[in-house]
Amino acid sequence: MFPQFGATAETLSKASTLVFRIGTDAHLYDDPEDVNIAPLLESKFDSEKCEALKRLLALIAQGFDVSNFFPQVVKNVASQSLDVKKLVYLYLLHYAEKRPNEALLSINCFQKDLGDPNALVRGWALRTMAGIRLHVIAPLVLVAVGKCARDPSVYVRKCAANALPKLYDLRLEEHNSAIEEIVGILLNDHSPGVLGAAAAAFASICPNNFSLIGQNYQRLCEILLDVEEWGQIILIGILLRFVIAKHGLVRESIMFSLCCTESSNSGKDGSPTEISIKEDPGFLCRGNNFGLDVDVSGDNDLLASMISRCYIEGPNEYLSRLSYTNRGPELNVAQFTSGKSNNDMKILLQCTSPLLWSNNSAVVLAAGGVHWIMAPREDVKRIVKPLLFVLRSSSASKYVVLCNIQVFAKAMPSLFASNFEDFFICSSDSYQIKALKLEILSSIATDSSISFIFKEFQDYVRDPDRRFAADTVAAIGLCAQRLPKTANTCLQGLLALTRLEFLSSDIESVEGEAGVLIQAIMSIRSIIKQDPPSHEKVIIQLIRSLDSIKVPAARAMIIWIAGEYCSLGDTIPRMLTTVLSYLAWHFTTEALETKLQILNSIVKVLLFAEGEDLWSFKRVLNYVLELAECDLNYDVRDRARFLKKILSSNLDPQGLEEEANIIPQHKELSHVLAEHIFGGQTKPVSPEPMNCRFYLPGSLSQIVLHAAPGYEPLPKPCSLLCDDINLSNVCEGTNALESAKNSDFYDTDDHGSLSGSLDEESTSDYSRQDSITKSSISSGGDGTSSANDDDDNLDPLIQISDVGNACENQNGVSHSGSADLGELISKRGLESWLNDQPALSSASTSEPSQVSISTARISIGDIGRQVKMKSYTLLDPANGNGLKVDYTFSSEVSTISHHLVCVEVFIKNCSSEAMSDIFLQDDESIKRSYSADQTIVATDSSLESHNDIPIIVSMEEITSLEPGQTARGIIQVRFHHHLLPLKLALFCNGKKLPVKLRPDIGYFVKPLPMDIEAFTDKESRLPGMFEYARSCTFTDHIGELNKGKDENLVIKDTFLVICECLALKMLGNANLFLVSVDMPIAANLDDASGLRLRFSSEILSNSIPCLITITVEGKCYDPLKVSIKVNCEETVFGLNMLNRVVNFLAESSQAHL
Amino acid sequence: MLQCIFLLSDSGEVMLEKQLTGHRVDRSICAWFWEQAISQGDSFKLQPVIASPTHYLFQVVREGITFLACTQVEMPPLMAIEFLCRVADVLSDYLGGLNEDVIKDNFIIVYELLDEMIDNGFPLTTEPNILREMIAQPSIVSKVLSVVTGNSSNVSETLPGATASCVPWRTPDPKYANNEVYVDLVEEMDATINRDGVLVKCEIYGEVQVNSHLSGLPDLTLSFANPSILDDVRFHPCVRFRPWESNQILSFVPPDGQFKLMSYRVKKLKSTPIYVKPQLTSGGGTCRIDVLVGIRNDPGKTIDSITVQFQLPHCILSADMTSNHGTVNILANKTCLWSIERIPKDKAPSMSGTLVLETGLERLHVFPTFQVAFRIMGVALSGLQIDKLDLKNLPNRPYKGFRALTRAGEFEVRS
Repeated sequence: MFPQFGATAETLSKASTLVFRIGTDAHLYDDPEDVNIAPLLESKFDSEKCEALKRLLALIAQGFDVSNFFPQVVKNVASQSLDVKKLVYLYLLHYAEKRPNEALLSINCFQKDLGDPNALVRGWALRTMAGIRLHVIAPLVLVAVGKCARDPSVYVRKCAANALPKLYDLRLEEHNSAIEEIVGILLNDHSPGVLGAAAAAFASICPNNFSLIGQNYQRLCEILLDVEEWGQIILIGILLRFVIAKHGLVRESIMFSLCCTESSNSGKDGSPTEISIKEDPGFLCRGNNFGLDVDVSGDNDLLASMISRCYIEGPNEYLSRLSYTNRGPELNVAQFTSGKSNNDMKILLQCTSPLLWSNNSAVVLAAGGVHWIMAPREDVKRIVKPLLFVLRSSSASKYVVLCNIQVFAKAMPSLFASNFEDFFICSSDSYQIKALKLEILSSIATDSSISFIFKEFQDYVRDPDRRFAADTVAAIGLCAQRLPKTANTCLQGLLALTRLEFLSSDIESVEGEAGVLIQAIMSIRSIIKQDPPSHEKVIIQLIRSLDSIKVPAARAMIIWIAGEYCSLGDTIPRMLTTVLSYLAWHFTTEALETKLQILNSIVKVLLFAEGEDLWSFKRVLNYVLELAECDLNYDVRDRARFLKKILSSNLDPQGLEEEANIIPQHKELSHVLAEHIFGGQTKPVSPEPMNCRFYLPGSLSQIVLHAAPGYEPLPKPCSLLCDDINLSNVCEGTNALESAKNSDFYDTDDHGSLSGSLDEESTSDYSRQDSITKSSISSGGDGTSSANDDDDNLDPLIQISDVGNACENQNGVSHSGSADLGELISKRGLESWLNDQPALSSASTSEPSQVSISTARISIGDIGRQVKMKSYTLLDPANGNGLKVDYTFSSEVSTISHHLVCVEVFIKNCSSEAMSDIFLQDDESIKRSYSADQTIVATDSSLESHNDIPIIVSMEEITSLEPGQTARGIIQVRFHHHLLPLKLALFCNGKKLPVKLRPDIGYFVKPLPMDIEAFTDKESRLPGMFEYARSCTFTDHIGELNKGKDENLVIKDTFLVICECLALKMLGNANLFLVSVDMPIAANLDDASGLRLRFSSEILSNSIPCLITITVEGKCYDPLKVSIKVNCEETVFGLNMLNRVVNFLAESSQAHL
Repeated sequence: MLQCIFLLSDSGEVMLEKQLTGHRVDRSICAWFWEQAISQGDSFKLQPVIASPTHYLFQVVREGITFLACTQVEMPPLMAIEFLCRVADVLSDYLGGLNEDVIKDNFIIVYELLDEMIDNGFPLTTEPNILREMIAQPSIVSKVLSVVTGNSSNVSETLPGATASCVPWRTPDPKYANNEVYVDLVEEMDATINRDGVLVKCEIYGEVQVNSHLSGLPDLTLSFANPSILDDVRFHPCVRFRPWESNQILSFVPPDGQFKLMSYRVKKLKSTPIYVKPQLTSGGGTCRIDVLVGIRNDPGKTIDSITVQFQLPHCILSADMTSNHGTVNILANKTCLWSIERIPKDKAPSMSGTLVLETGLERLHVFPTFQVAFRIMGVALSGLQIDKLDLKNLPNRPYKGFRALTRAGEFEVRS
C-alpha cells in the first residue's frame, strides 16, 4: 500500500508542477522542434504564427542558428497583431545582418508603420528599422529618425534618440553632419525623458561638439534632476567636460591645490596667495592631522597631483612623458577660474548635489565625481557620506565604489579619515573587497584613529582566511611607515606574531601560515629600513628567533637583515661570530634562497669586519664556500665561484692585507668592487609605487586599470574658446573647403590617365621581378659567396647579419634600379635587414659549424620570389562554356582609393572557338543601370557617395580571346570588410554568367614597412583588449624537410626551412610585411621553440596598423605548435584576421598540391 | 554601451542570449567565463567587473542565476551593474521569484522585457509601472485563459500613458474603491562585536516602504519627528529634493503599489537588543566552545527568529555540539547553525560542544566569526518616528497604516 501511496504522491507532485507550468511557454523551450515550424509560419492564424515564432526564439535562446527561416519570418512583419510584430522584430534584429538581402523586404512595412497613429507601433518600427543596420537603407532611416525626432510622442522621440548611435555605428561619413544636427534638435527637447537618451546619443556620436551643449547648458543643468537616472549618469559627464573645456579647473578645488604644490615644489607655502588659509577648514583639518609628518603628506600631494594630471592627460600620455622628459607643459594659473564667481560652475555643483541622494549608485558616483573635481575643497566632504552609503546597496556596486574611494582616500586622506569605521571588515565581504578596505584603512589612518584600527587588525590576523590575514600584516607595515610614531607598537605586535606562529609547532603543515609569517617579516624589514638605529633590539630578537623559524623565505629575509645591518650599534657586531658559525653549521640543510642569502651576508659581514673577527669570519666564509662549491644546485655553485674570485685577495690564507701585497693594485680593485656590490646601503624606496595609473572616477578604466577603448580623459582646460559656436562654424567651413578641394582633384583625374596607371602597373609587375633576381644575385656575390653555390632559383638567400657591406650593397642595388621599384619591393615585404646586432651571425646552409651561435635575427631575402599567390577559381570551364577564370589577390595597393582591393584575374579560353567581349562587372551596378565606362571613371568622390554598396572598378573589356590564350587583368573591388561572397556578372559573347568573388581578409591590408623597434613600440601600445591570440599546429615544413632528406641535396638548415615555410605561407595568403625573424638559441638543434616571425600591415580602408607575431614551439620534425598573436585597434577586424591566419596556417599545403 | 546580455543557470548553461548592438558577442565568452568561475572558485563569482581577453564582463548573481553583460568600450561600470540589478528585480517581480525553470518557462516574457528595457545597449524603459502596462504579467487567470482560448497575448496594444507624463513612475488615473496607504519602516541592524566583547560598530540601515492604492494623482507629505538622527538618505525618484533640503520633509507623488520611498542610515548606536558571548578554549588537540545568548536591552516587543551560525575553520576534523534550547545543525559546507527562535523566560539559551582539531595541531589559531540573525516586529530600533502623513488631491479620506520592523543585518560577533 505504501509504495502505491508513494507513487500517487509522485504523480500528484508531477501534476501540480504541470498545473503550474500550464499556460507558460515551458513546452516551447523544452522541445522547440517537436512540430514542423515552417507551415506554422505560413498559417493564417496569428496564434499559430506566434507559436512558431516563439519556437524560433527558443532556438535562438539556446544558441541554435535558425536564420534559414528568415524569408518566411520576414513576410509576417506585415501582420497587424502586435504580438506577432514584437516577436518578428526580436527575430529580425537577431539575424538581419546575416541576411541583408531578405531583410530589405521588410523596409516597406516599417515605412508604413512609421505613419501609424499608434505611438507604440511607430516607436517599435523605428527601433527595429535602425536596428537591422544595413548600409543600403541608412538614408531611409536617417529620414525616418529626422521625422520621429519631431514626433508628438515622447516615447517615439526617445526611440529616435536611441536610433542615432545605431546609424552612426554604420560609419557613413557623409551622414555625420545630419546626425549631429538631429542630436542638436533632441538636446533642445523640453521633455526630460528624451533628454536622457539624447545625452547618450551625444556622448557616443560627437562628445566634443561642445557648441551643442553651449546653447543649452543652463537649461540642461536645471532639468538634470528630472531626467531619468540612466540619462543623468551620461549627462553629468557631458556637463563636466563642457565646463572644464570652457572655464578650466576651479581655483578652489583639490585639483588646483595639487597642481600648484607640484609646480612650486614646496608643500604648503606654495599655495597661491589668493587663497586665504584661514577661510579653508579642509586645509586646516589636513594641517592638524598631518602637520607632524611632513614627508607623508608631501607624498600624498605628489600622488594627488599625479591623479589630477592623469585625469586631464590620460595616464599613458602622462606617464610616458614623465619617463622621457622631466616636465611637460605646466598647468598655468590661467587655466583656472574661480568657482565662486563663475556661474556655470556654481550651477553644475548646485544641480548635482541633490543627486548624491539618488537611489541609483551610478548616479551617486557620477555626481560625486563632479564634486571631487570641481567643488571647493571645503565642500568636497559632501560626497563622503553618500559614497559610504552606497556601500550598503549591493556587493557588486560595493566593489566598484570602493575602487574609487581608494583613489580619493590616497589623494586626500583627511577626507575619509574620520569615517574609518565604515571600512571595518565584515565576514561576508569577498576577498577583493577585504583587500580594498585594508588598503583604504592603511592610507587614512591617523594618529588618533590608529589605535582603533590596530585593535581591528589584531582580530583580522586570526581570521580563518589566511590570505586575508597576510594582507592585514602587510597593512600593519604600511601604517607604521605612514605614522612613524606607531612604529614601535607595530613592531612589538609583529614580533609577537612571529613568535605566535612558530609556537604552533609545525606551521608548514598548515595551509597559508607560511604566507602570514613571511609577510610579517617583510613588514618588519620595511619598518626597520626607515630608521635602523632605533630598531636595533628588534633586529637582535629576529636573529635570535632564527632557530625556531623554519620557513625558508622568512629565514632568508632575517639573514639578509643580519647582513645588512651587521655594523649597526654595539650588540650586533658582537653577536655576529656566533651567528655566522650557526649559519655555517646549518648551511647544508638550508633551502636554496637561504643558502644564497647566507653567502651574501657572510661577505657583507666580512667587508665590515676588522681585527680579530676578520680571521674567524674568513674561516667561516672559506668553509661555507667550500660547501657551496659542491652544492647540488648550480646557482649556489656559481655564486660560490663568483665570490671566491672577487674575494680572492681577502680570502688569502695568510690573511692580513699587509703581508699579501703581490699584486696590490689588482687586490685593491677587487676589494673596491666587492665593496660596491655588497657594501652599498640600499636607498629608501618611497612606499607608494609611483607608476600607478589613475582614470576618471566612475570609469571602467579605473576598475580594470588600463585605458579601455573609448576612454577619454577630461578635455584640456579652457580649450574651448568663448565664441565656440563661431569657432565650430569656421571648422566646418574649412572642412568643407578641403573636401571640395579633394573632390576637385579627383574630378580632374580623367579616364585616360587612370587606365594608363593601370597599364603601368601591369607592366611593372614583370620588370620588378627582374630587379629582384638581379639584386639577389649581386648580394650573393658580395656577401655570402659561399652560401650560394647552389641553384639560385631554389635556395633561399640568407643575409648574414654582420656582413654590413652586403646589406648596404643590396639596398643600394634595389634603390639604384629605380626609386619606384625600390619602394615597391620594400612594400612587398620581401626583405628585412638587420643592422642593429653586428655581433650576430646566422646559421647558413653551408656552414653548419656556426649553428651553435646563440640568438640571431636573420633576414630571409628573396622570399618574395617564392611566394606563390594562391589562386581561386571564379568560373570553371564546365560552367562557363569553356571559359576559365581564375583570380588571385594582388598585393598591389589601389591607386584610386584606399578602400579598394586589387584582384588579379586570369581569363583563359579553354574552348576551341574564339570568344569575344569578355567583361566583368558588379551585379548590383547593373541593376542600377550603370554603364561600364562610368564605373571606370569612378573617382573617390563618387565612391564616397555610393559607398553603401561594394563597388568594383572593372578591368578593360577584352574584345576577343583566341582558343588557348590567356588574358590577364586587374579589377579593384571594395568589400567594405564584408566577408560574404560578392556577386559579379561576367559577360562573354553577350551572355551574362553570374559568378561569386570570395573576399580574403588577408588582402584587406597592405604591408606597412617598419623596423623592429617601431614594431615593438607599436605592439606595446596595443595591449589588453587590442591583443588576440590563438594557436594551431603547423605541418607544412615536415614535407619540405623530408624532401630535402630524400633527394640528398645539400643539407639545409632545418630552422631556415621552417622559417621559410612559415613566411611563404603567410606572405602567400595575406598582404603583409615581414619585419623580422628571430632564431632561437640553438642549444638543441632539434628544437624549434622560440622561433619568432613578425609581420606588420595596415588596414587599407582606415590605415590602422595590424601587427602579427608568430611564435613556434616544438621539435623540428614534428608538427609545430604555432601561436599567432594579432595586435590591432580594430577589434573585429583583428579577430577576423586572426581566425583567417589560423585557418590557412593549419590547413596543410599538401592538400592543395 | 552594453553589447550583449546572457542569462546563465547555476550549472553554467546559457539559458538566454540577447544581442543588443551590431557588434555581436559570441556565446563562447560564456564558456570562457564558466571555465574561469570553476577554476578560480568563489572569488571570481564575486568579482563584478572582469576583463576577459575579448570583452569586459559585468556580472550580477541573484538566486543562482548569473546575469552577464558584455562590452568592449568604456562605460560607467556601475551603470551596467545597476541595470543588471534592475533587470533581476523586474524579472523576479514578474515571474514571482528567480530560478532556472521559471526563466525557461517564461522565456518569451523575458525576451520582451529585455527588449523594452534596453535599446542599443542603453537603458530604455526601466520603470516597473510602465513595463507592467506594456507587457502583461503572467498570472494564473491569464494562463488559464490562454489555455482555453488559445490566445496568449501579453503585449499591450497601446503605449502606456505614463511614458508621456511628468511622473513616469505613476500609472495615470488609477481608480480604487478603498483608498489606502501603508507606510512601513523596515530596519536592519549592522553590528560588529570584537574579540574583547566591545561593540565596535553598530548602525541601522533602514527603508521607508510605502504601499499605496490611491485614486487619481495624490500628493503626499511625510514628516518625521526626529529627522536629525538620520545620517544619510537616498530617495526614490518621486521625492522632491527641495522640501527635504529646506525642512526635511518628504513630498512626493507616489507610484502605484509597493515601492521603496527612501533608505536611510543611522550611525553610532550604543547598544544591541541581544548579546551573544562565544568562548573558545583550546588545548591538547581539541577546542571547547561555549556560546551564551540573552537579552541585553529589552526593546519591549518579542525578539524572534533568532539564529546564530558560524563557519567551522578548515583545520577542524569533527564537531559535537549541543544546546539547552533550540536545535543545532552542522550543514554540509561546515556551517554550524543554531536556531533558537525565541528566548525563553526561565533560562538563558546556551550552546556548547567540542571540536576535534587536525592531527598535529595543539590548539586553534584561527577563530570563527559568529553571525547572528533576529527579528523584532513593531519596533524601529533606530528610534526614527513618523510624525504625520498628509494627503492632498484625494476625493475621500483614505485609510492610513503604519508599521515597523527591525531585523539583524550584518550582525557579527568575533571570537
